Parts: sequence; structure tokens; C-alpha cells
Amino acid sequence: MRKIHIRVAMVYITAAILFLIIRSFVVPPTFGEYDWYRGDSVREIMELPPQHANATVCKDCHSERYDLWSGGAHSTVSCESCHGPSYSHTKDPIIVSANVDNSREFCGLCHAQNPSRPADFPQIDMDTHGNGNLCVVCHNPHSPWVFGGE
Amino acid sequence: MITRRKFLKALGLLSATAAGVSAKTSRAEPTEYYDWSKHYYSFVVDSTKCIGCGRCVRACKLENEVPLEPFFFRTWVERYIWLKGEEEPYVDSPNGGFEGFPVIYDEKAIRKSYFVPKLCNQCDRPPCVQVCPVGATYKTEDGVVLVDEKYCIGCRYCIQACPYGARYLYPFNGPRKSRRGTADKCTWCYHRITKGLKPACVEACPVGARKFGDLKDPNDEIHKLLDENRISVLKPEQGTKPKVFYIGIDTEVR
Ligand code: HEC
Ligand code: HEC
Ligand code: HEC
Ligand code: HEC
Repeated sequence: MRKIHIRVAMVYITAAILFLIIRSFVVPPTFGEYDWYRGDSVREIMELPPQHANATVCKDCHSERYDLWSGGAHSTVSCESCHGPSYSHTKDPIIVSANVDNSREFCGLCHAQNPSRPADFPQIDMDTHGNGNLCVVCHNPHSPWVFGGE
Repeated sequence: MITRRKFLKALGLLSATAAGVSAKTSRAEPTEYYDWSKHYYSFVVDSTKCIGCGRCVRACKLENEVPLEPFFFRTWVERYIWLKGEEEPYVDSPNGGFEGFPVIYDEKAIRKSYFVPKLCNQCDRPPCVQVCPVGATYKTEDGVVLVDEKYCIGCRYCIQACPYGARYLYPFNGPRKSRRGTADKCTWCYHRITKGLKPACVEACPVGARKFGDLKDPNDEIHKLLDENRISVLKPEQGTKPKVFYIGIDTEVR
């Protein structure tokens, strides 16, 4: 072999090795663990903290309201649908309080008359129904056919 | 001066360390407590039940640190209205349905109208994953398309590629620092479903218009829904094989 051939081969090999070295530092460790992505990313997303708990958790401390709710017309409406995400409230109920909104507009979000809603869903005329009183004065929000409010 | 011999020696040493660094601790599963090969998820939207209250949009934003102001949505609700004497439907989504839908047309003028909740379809053949130049978005074994917020370079290719408009660029004033300037999308609340919880929007829906289930679990109620209803998907002609199935929508809904 002539000297020039060896030189060219050396340059080529050096370049290849350099590429591999740089690549190994630039590509994150778990890239390609499963496929063409960073495996750690899956674990990072799995470890994000949940914000919503579940009605069964609320039962531990609010059993009276839970029983009323689970037997009433609002049993399909999750507690947190009305009180907001309450995962941190269940961990530390005194410091983090759940939201309470007893306004007419709030009930109206679901019950205001709207022609786009399914016809069999109970809707009311917000202008006339209840004569402008707060809904919770008459309806118990946890079981709306229980009258007399909270 | 460095002799060639010395240089080559150093090179050999470096490549040895590099090989050591890149040696992967190959694990079959992301974590010990969750086996993703035993799950394959699916989502059913029953549009005939949706009342357009927007609780799902709100729950999603609060669960996933999505900015509360308009135009950033992982899920949103659209309203379709067919007026009497008109062929094409009128479609709107005021603030994604976050504050509900004010009445805009008189009931007598409306031929037909309903709400359609939208979210990422977690396509089986996701165009967004194909176009990512850096491998920052991918499909997991249990069938969910995720974004690696640390690796995404914010080039917006995937946002363009999605035929459903399910992706958006996380704004630079968003609450989650590490996600700023990257593409963000619905994950079916991957952090919840891998713990056995339901996605936040499903949890929040008061009428059961959103159903989530595991196709690999034979006792899941999702099988009953898929078997007993007439099912369609959005934009089937795109060949993306969506995994969100709709009940009760017209072909004009896309
Ligand atoms: C560990 C026990 C515990 C659990 C679990 C719990 N709570 Fe509470 N909750 C409390 C206590 C204690 C208070 C009273 C706090 C106060 O008066 O400041 C309270 C108060 C409330 C209030 C009233 C807040 C106010 O400002 O008046 C609401 C609404 C509420 N909880 C909703 C929920 C919901 C929804 C859940 C389920 C996701 C839940 N709670 C789970 C202990 C609990
Ligand atoms: C339909 C919406 C709705 C649902 C569902 C609901 N709540 Fe409430 N809740 C309210 C409203 C509105 C009030 C305020 C009542 C009032 O002011 O008289 C309230 C009050 C409360 C309070 C007392 C706070 C206070 O200041 O008196 C607690 C505790 C509570 N709810 C817990 C629960 C739990 C636990 C669940 C689930 C089992 C639940 N709620 C489900 C709407 C709801
Ligand atoms: C998140 C949506 C939501 C909110 C907010 C809400 N409701 Fe309801 N409500 C429902 C659903 C769902 C039903 C069950 C409807 C059915 O049975 O088809 C229901 C049923 C009712 C019923 C019984 C109607 C019937 O025909 O059986 C009354 C009364 C009622 N709600 C009153 C209220 C009041 C008062 C409030 C405010 C405190 C309120 N709702 C807030 C979703 C909601
Ligand atoms: C003055 C007491 C009172 C107030 C305040 C009141 N309601 Fe009622 N509501 C009733 C009574 C009584 C009925 C049953 C008779 C009827 O359908 O009118 C009823 C029925 C309903 C129904 C069932 C309607 C149906 O067709 O099945 C819903 C839904 C409802 N109310 C929601 C609300 C909401 C939302 C508010 C607040 C915006 C509210 N109510 C305020 C007394 C009240």
C-alpha cells in the first residue's frame, strides 16, 4: 500500500471516531431506549402530579354530602366539576380550600335554556325561574330535588 | 507538539469513555408499577349528550397547566348550527367553550344544532410524529402521542401537520417554565391514566359525553359503547386512524 492510502484511511477513521464521540455527548442517555425518542420523557410525563381527585376520596371527610349527592339527580356530576380540582385540598384541607360558587350563573352554565342542548336535558328560563333568587335557596346543590337549600 | 501517536491514543481513550456513557440501561417498561404493553386506550365522545357547559375545557386547563386565556386548548368544544334554509352549518367556539355558549340564534330559526367536544385523536398513524425533526414527539406503546418538552425545539412543524388542529405552541408567559416555546397537546392525561385515574375532562363531564377506556381490558365499558353504537371518526380520508370515536355527528363535522 502506498503511504497516501494510509493517510486517507487515517483521516477517514479519525473523522468517524470524532463523529461518534460528539454524538454520544449530544444525544441524551435514554434516547432510543424504546424508539426514536428520549425514554426519560415518558417517565417525566407520568410523574406529573394530578390535580383532580375523585368523588370517592371526598367521601372520606364529607360523607354526609356524599350520601346525599350519590342518591340525587346530581350523582352524575362529579364534586370537582362544581368545586374545582381538589387534589391538594384532599391532602391539606385547611390550607387549600375547594372553590364554592353558589351564583345563579354557575348553575346556568349547565341548565340555562339553549337550543343546542339535547332536548331531554332539564333546562330553565334563567330570566324567570326562581324569581331571581339564588338557586341554592330552593334547591340543595348536592341533591337538587331536595328543597330548602343547604 | 502532539505527535500522531499521542493524538491517536487520546482519541482511543475518549471513544472508550464515550462508549461507556452511551451504554444504555435498557428497561422494558417505563416504570415498575405500570406495564404499558398491557394497555391500549381509546376515547368515545357521545355528541348527543354534550350540553356545552365547558367544564371539561376548564378541568383540562387546570389539570395540565394550560394557560387560561383564549387560543390555548388541549381540548375544546365546538357548536354546530344548521339554520333553516341554509345548506352549510355555522360553527363557533367562543373561547373554546370555556365559559359556556351564549344563545345566538332563536330556536325557531334553527334546523339542527349540537355540541361537539374536540381533543387530540391520538392517531394510530400520527402525521405529527412523522414530521418532527428531532424525535421530540412520539407514540407510546399504549397508544398515546406525547411531546418531550425538554427536547422540542419549537419549530411548529407538528402544529402544521396535525389535520385536527390539536396542537398549539405553549406561550412564553405560560405557567409551566419548562414547557414555554414548545409544542403542547392533549395527552389523554397520561399522568392520570397510568395511575388508573380517568382523564380530567372525563372526570368533569356531568353527562357522560366523554368516555375513556382500555381496549385491552375485556371488562371495560368502552367495548359496550363501541359495539352498541354507530361510530365515526373525524377526517377518515386523511388515513390517520384516529382513536377518538364519535357518536351522533354529521359528515359536516370535521
Ligand atoms: C382529609 C379530609 C378531606 C377530604 C378528603 C376532602 N375534604 Fe373538603 N374539607 C375538609 C375540611 C376539614 C373542610 C373545612 C375547611 C374549612 O372550613 O376551612 C373542607 C371544606 C370543603 C369545602 C368548603 C370550602 C369552603 O370554602 O367553605 C368544599 C367545597 C370541599 N371541602 C370540597 C371537597 C371535595 C370536592 C373533596 C373531594 C375532592 C374534598 N372536599 C375532600 C376536609 C376534606
Ligand atoms: C352541582 C354542583 C355541585 C356538586 C356536584 C357538588 N357540590 Fe358541593 N356545593 C355546591 C354549591 C353551589 C355549594 C354552596 C351551597 C350554599 O352556598 O348553600 C356547595 C357546598 C359544599 C360544601 C360546603 C361549603 C359551604 O360553604 O357550605 C361542601 C363541603 C361541599 N359542597 C362538598 C361537596 C362534595 C363532597 C361533593 C361531591 C360528593 C359536592 N360538594 C358536589 C355545588 C356542588
Ligand atoms: C356541571 C353541570 C351542572 C351544574 C353546574 C349544575 N347541574 Fe343540575 N344537573 C346536571 C345534570 C347532568 C343533571 C341530571 C340531568 C338528567 O337527569 O338528565 C342535573 C339535574 C338537575 C335537576 C333535576 C332536573 C330533573 O329534571 O331531574 C335540578 C333541579 C338541578 N340539576 C338544579 C341545579 C342547580 C340548582 C344547580 C346549581 C347549584 C345545578 N343544577 C348545577 C348538571 C349540572
Ligand atoms: C323559588 C325557588 C326556586 C329557585 C330560586 C330556583 N328553583 Fe328550580 N325549581 C323550583 C321548583 C319548585 C321546581 C319544580 C317545578 C318546576 O319545574 O318549575 C324547579 C325545577 C327546576 C329544574 C327542573 C326543570 C325541569 O324541567 O325538569 C331545574 C333544572 C331547576 N329548577 C334549576 C334551577 C336553577 C339553575 C336555579 C337558579 C338559576 C333554580 N332552579 C332556582 C324552585 C326554584
